[in-house]
Amino acid sequence: MSNYFKPSPENKVSTGQKLMSIPLRHLQQAIGSLGDLWRTPFTTFMTLLVLGISLTLPATLHLFVKNANNVVSQWDSASEITLFLKLNIDDKAGQNLASRLELYPEIAAVTYISAEQALKDFKLHSGFGDALTYLSENPLPATILVTPTKRSGQAVAAKDLLLKLEKEREVDQGKLDLEWLSRLEAMAKLIEDIVIAVALLLCLSVILIIGNTIRLAILNQKDAIAVMKLVGATDSFIQRPFMYAGAWYGIFGGIFANIAIFTLAHYLSSAMTELTALYHSSFTLETLSFTETVGLMGSAILLGLIGSYLSVRQHIRAIEPTAD
Amino acid sequence: MIRFNQVNKTYPGGFLALKNVSFQIAPGEMAFLTGHSGAGKSTLLKLISLMEKPSSGTIHINNQNLDNVGYRQVPYMRRHIGMIFQNHNLLMDRTVFDNVALPLIIEGYSQKEIRRRVEAALEKIQLSDKQKCFPYMLSGGEQQRVGIARAIVNKPPILLADEPTGNLDPKLSLDIIKLFEEFNAAGVSVLIATHDLGLIARMRYRTLTLKSGNMITDGIVDGLHSQTEVVSE
Ligand SMILES: Nc1ncnc2c1ncn2[C@@H]1O[C@H](COP(=O)(O)OP(=O)(O)O)[C@@H](O)[C@H]1O
Ligand SMILES: [Mg+2]
Repeated sequence: MSNYFKPSPENKVSTGQKLMSIPLRHLQQAIGSLGDLWRTPFTTFMTLLVLGISLTLPATLHLFVKNANNVVSQWDSASEITLFLKLNIDDKAGQNLASRLELYPEIAAVTYISAEQALKDFKLHSGFGDALTYLSENPLPATILVTPTKRSGQAVAAKDLLLKLEKEREVDQGKLDLEWLSRLEAMAKLIEDIVIAVALLLCLSVILIIGNTIRLAILNQKDAIAVMKLVGATDSFIQRPFMYAGAWYGIFGGIFANIAIFTLAHYLSSAMTELTALYHSSFTLETLSFTETVGLMGSAILLGLIGSYLSVRQHIRAIEPTAD
Repeated sequence: MIRFNQVNKTYPGGFLALKNVSFQIAPGEMAFLTGHSGAGKSTLLKLISLMEKPSSGTIHINNQNLDNVGYRQVPYMRRHIGMIFQNHNLLMDRTVFDNVALPLIIEGYSQKEIRRRVEAALEKIQLSDKQKCFPYMLSGGEQQRVGIARAIVNKPPILLADEPTGNLDPKLSLDIIKLFEEFNAAGVSVLIATHDLGLIARMRYRTLTLKSGNMITDGIVDGLHSQTEVVSE
């Protein structure tokens, strides 16, 4: 029996034996730190709530930008050219031009609006109806609405098409409203930049939240950490459960954010369907793709690990064992 | 095993806690470190266990100069030193078994080996039946013994004890010292710091005496008649 206490300082455990037990020990510690989180349910829940929201916001903004880009690209290809015909062009010549234009390979659809029709529409919609009856002559020209094909609808191609159409003898003036389109594009770009900046800030706050939570956990365990150092625990051994806690926060924060986004998207999408039905639009709300979902989870875990690593680095080293 | 060479320790604030201390403890030797409260006993043990660094002079443990031990090597050095304190430093939310197992878990022993060694250590301190208890369920003497089991469970070649019998009655104190004698008989170097001169007087061991940071005697204390040799300062 007393033989058992014979000192044997070197090589107490073989390296192979150690390597064999590493995955098992990590698993145990991972589950153990999950148990630690469960032991303080209120703190853990509040932290997860804050984390989840901090992750949901940038992801929601991302969804917004993604759908906005979708809408912009839809409008982009549907841009329309309005051709105002000369006033001396009669109905027949105008209709002739319309049928000629229909043969253009760049053009998808043509609508001819005669001068009378234009006046009628104007009377109907403008509210100047009665005043207009005093005009002796119709001041409005006949117009042709040209819808380019998808390919010729892009900003540059549409401009080329406009120049070509303006060379037609009957055409007085053509109008392609690209300005609002480029403005919309610029706006979308600006929003995207803002979203990136906000997302970065929120990521930073996720790191700080997790870092602070882990700091409190470390301070809570101060005495135990001092004892572990006393009996020869390395910093990396002591920090492991805290790193796992950070990873768990990331995992659960990520799951929370994913659920929140899918719920939000589902809710908005049913509201959207009603709205778009009114506008005869084929717009459907896109949610996060599989890759994006995985990406969100991955970055949540990464942020959790970064936060806990920064905290652990700083605070575990500072704890020293004391003899008294 | 332990070698101090002209060691000085000045605490931040300028207090000189150890003055030019030199001594050696051979492998397998057992010695007491004594002196009044505030003489520097704990400081000396803290230097050995790398909780403090000497201001000047050199310390060798296991033939390793502590000057050359970096932050990362400190834990590995401590695994060769069993430490016992008056306030036993147990983890209050872990069972006796888990407390004793801690050094083995840290070193990565297998579950089976941990169980075997912890049970043997608990048997040694006669607390086998309390392994599932928490420290607060134990008496002061029992807690102290759990601390001892934790210190020796990974078979360190050096055992340090700071006032291990601090608030125990004489009978329990003697039991604890007897335990140390058993480890010593198995080849462990033991250094016990205590201001309990009555306890030392009952035995015949080498005794190092500190007085306000100076090592004033180093020799065998035999009963009340001490044959001491004065250490030159
Ligand atoms: N961390 C410290 N900072 C400053 N002074 C200290 C510190 N630790 C101990 N001392 C001082 O060093 C002296 C020796 O203390 P210590 O080694 O604990 O004595 P002992 O254990 O013999 O009672 C005491 O006067 C104490 O006040
Ligand atoms: Mg002391």
